[in-house]
Amino acid sequence: MELKKQKSTTRVGDGVVNMRKKSSRNGLTAVVLGFLVFSMIGLAYASEPLYRIFCQVTGYGGTTRIAVFDNKGLVAKNSITVRFDANVNKLLPWRFKPMQNKITLRPGEQAIAFYEATNVSDKPIVGTAVFNVAPFKVGEYFNKIECFCFTEQILLPGQTVQMPVTFFVDSSIAEDRNTKEVSTITLSYTFYASDDQSEVENLSRTSLEIKKSVDSLRRTQIIQPG
Amino acid sequence: MSNITHDHHDHRPSGWKRWAYSTNHKDIGTMYLVLSMFAAIIGGAASMLMRAELHEPGIQFITDPQFYNVLVTAHGFIMVFFVVMPALIGGFGNWFIPLMIGTPDMAFPRMNNVSFWLVAAALILLVIAGFIDGGAGTGWTVYPPLSSADYHPGMAVDFGILALHLAGASSILGAINFITTIINMRAPGMTFHRMPLFIWAMLLTAFLLLLAIPVLAGALTMLLTDRNFGTAFFAPDGGGDPVLWQHLFWFFGHPEVYIMILPAFGIISEIVSTFSKKPIFGYLGMAYAMTSIGVVGFVVWAHHMYTMGFNVETRAYFTLATMVIAVPTGIKIFSWLATMWGGSIKFDTPMLYSMGFIFLFVVGGVTGVTLANAGVDMAFHDTYFVVAHFHYVLSISALFSMYAGFYYWFGKMSGKRYPEWLGRLQFWVTFVGVNLLFFPQHFAGMAGMPRRIIDYPDAYAGWNMISSWGAYISAVGGILFFVVLYKTLTSNVKAEANEWGVGATTLEWTVDSPAPFHTHEVTPNIIPEPAE
Repeated sequence: MELKKQKSTTRVGDGVVNMRKKSSRNGLTAVVLGFLVFSMIGLAYASEPLYRIFCQVTGYGGTTRIAVFDNKGLVAKNSITVRFDANVNKLLPWRFKPMQNKITLRPGEQAIAFYEATNVSDKPIVGTAVFNVAPFKVGEYFNKIECFCFTEQILLPGQTVQMPVTFFVDSSIAEDRNTKEVSTITLSYTFYASDDQSEVENLSRTSLEIKKSVDSLRRTQIIQPG
Repeated sequence: MSNITHDHHDHRPSGWKRWAYSTNHKDIGTMYLVLSMFAAIIGGAASMLMRAELHEPGIQFITDPQFYNVLVTAHGFIMVFFVVMPALIGGFGNWFIPLMIGTPDMAFPRMNNVSFWLVAAALILLVIAGFIDGGAGTGWTVYPPLSSADYHPGMAVDFGILALHLAGASSILGAINFITTIINMRAPGMTFHRMPLFIWAMLLTAFLLLLAIPVLAGALTMLLTDRNFGTAFFAPDGGGDPVLWQHLFWFFGHPEVYIMILPAFGIISEIVSTFSKKPIFGYLGMAYAMTSIGVVGFVVWAHHMYTMGFNVETRAYFTLATMVIAVPTGIKIFSWLATMWGGSIKFDTPMLYSMGFIFLFVVGGVTGVTLANAGVDMAFHDTYFVVAHFHYVLSISALFSMYAGFYYWFGKMSGKRYPEWLGRLQFWVTFVGVNLLFFPQHFAGMAGMPRRIIDYPDAYAGWNMISSWGAYISAVGGILFFVVLYKTLTSNVKAEANEWGVGATTLEWTVDSPAPFHTHEVTPNIIPEPAE
């Protein structure tokens, strides 16, 4: 650098004053920088909900849309095959499978598919399903009208339920140059145990109350004939 | 001349307390450099083991493939966090920021001490991570699900995470210290636009650290709770997404590669200017090229993840943004060359290493532009082409800048002059070694050889053998470096206060060699040059 050596000027008194002023300014700078660090950590954590919202808005990562069926009378020419995939978190003692392997439909047509879940444990459990479609890029065209994944599911011990999903593929999928070649879409669900199992307690409380009332009814019935 | 001797108040604590309790920027800088050399031996040994294993097809002597994965991981982490960063930032930064801006010490000397000991503790944790429960074989990217409790059930990955937490905390504290020092404590007259480029580089590096490391810390904490406390940030079967890890990691990871190379830019700028005996060409352009590299570096991270299923528009954006970085980088290369142009160049070892740096950085930059293309990267992703690219552009480039800085400043640090012929020999051995080591990996990669795998098909045998021989030659270069170090420390040749002559104009050359324990107690006054 072009920093020429200069005659250094000695001003000891000024130096001390400057040092004091400087050290409080240093403290302020450090506090501001520390704040920056904590806001970046905050941002890292905020990225989790932000990422989810971003996916829901843009259909990223194969995030599907929620929609009311409205095909505006448009149905695409070429049909698309929708395949069904089911997974269960290893900590959730459920069996979960699609009841059909695939459905072929034309974009713009509404369809209904069923999944079947069985609770193989001896406890009622609340489960939640996460979902996406592959290839990821069709997420914004895959619309669900009604789905078991919109709400938490509660299964009693040994209970088997059949769960519907009604959906349609937006007919404009055939007009997007990025997606018009897609002929197969895989819809995938993964069930895991919900963090919030409070419904189970409510349920057992309700079932206890039902039992009590049934018992008392029985008792009344027993009394009545007598 | 302002070579003021400070011997009369050069008192300092003695024995181990001098080092363990040190608040002196030079002693802390020295400790960082020693730590870096020590870690380089471990990280270098890991790479030699890998190259020896890959010398021939088939499995030679590493019987457990997981151990090979552990070596890959340990090599990456140690080289990034415990060799390059401590040397370039902690070592040269601590030593020369106060000397070059004309202040007695860092803003927070005690925090400086904490920074060093945190990184020392982190190194111990990381080495432990390599040896317990089968070791952490995740690669330095620690992608889940490989790094999840399902595939790395032991404590190794947890140790690695905590090691990175400590190293990250150390870097953040160091960065706060550097920024505060540079912003508030410059000598009167040294405006931002008159700071040496090394100071610019360190200031920008510190800002990148401050913005990037907390994101890594957050992501690592999420991974830690995923592994141990049942959260599911990155587990898809719990509602999470492993791709989120990739985004967070590379949001840190891409600035991280600039954290490693910006200080190198600073060192090379100083050396090229000194040995060409000219001020740097296009000073402001150089400073703002680094600034724009730092800024744009935060919006290109997804070029590390082209294959994870982005749509074509996203890939087009990241391709374009990545290529934009070639513009400021080109400005820097051009300015270095223009500085040398017409200069009366002295080809001493620091200058040889600087020119070596420029060559290596250009080679790595060209393959970087190649890989920036999402379409091309689909084929090259996770091949040795990528390995060759990033070793050229940041590993051996950073190594060359470290060697360059060492030869440039060791006289100032030790007061002894290194033997020039041995330095030049060390340069040529290293230069031949690293090129022989990494250039053939381009060809192996283009032929499809995948990274991070212990074995390979016979078709790749030729390039791998050449590459391994290059590694052995580089290792000889590394050993020669320690010979130079020993020879210099035991030699009787004193280094002058300004051993490089008229080209060396920054403030560190105005103090004695070795730099006294306390320097710039009288603030140097830098009066602006008269307008031209």
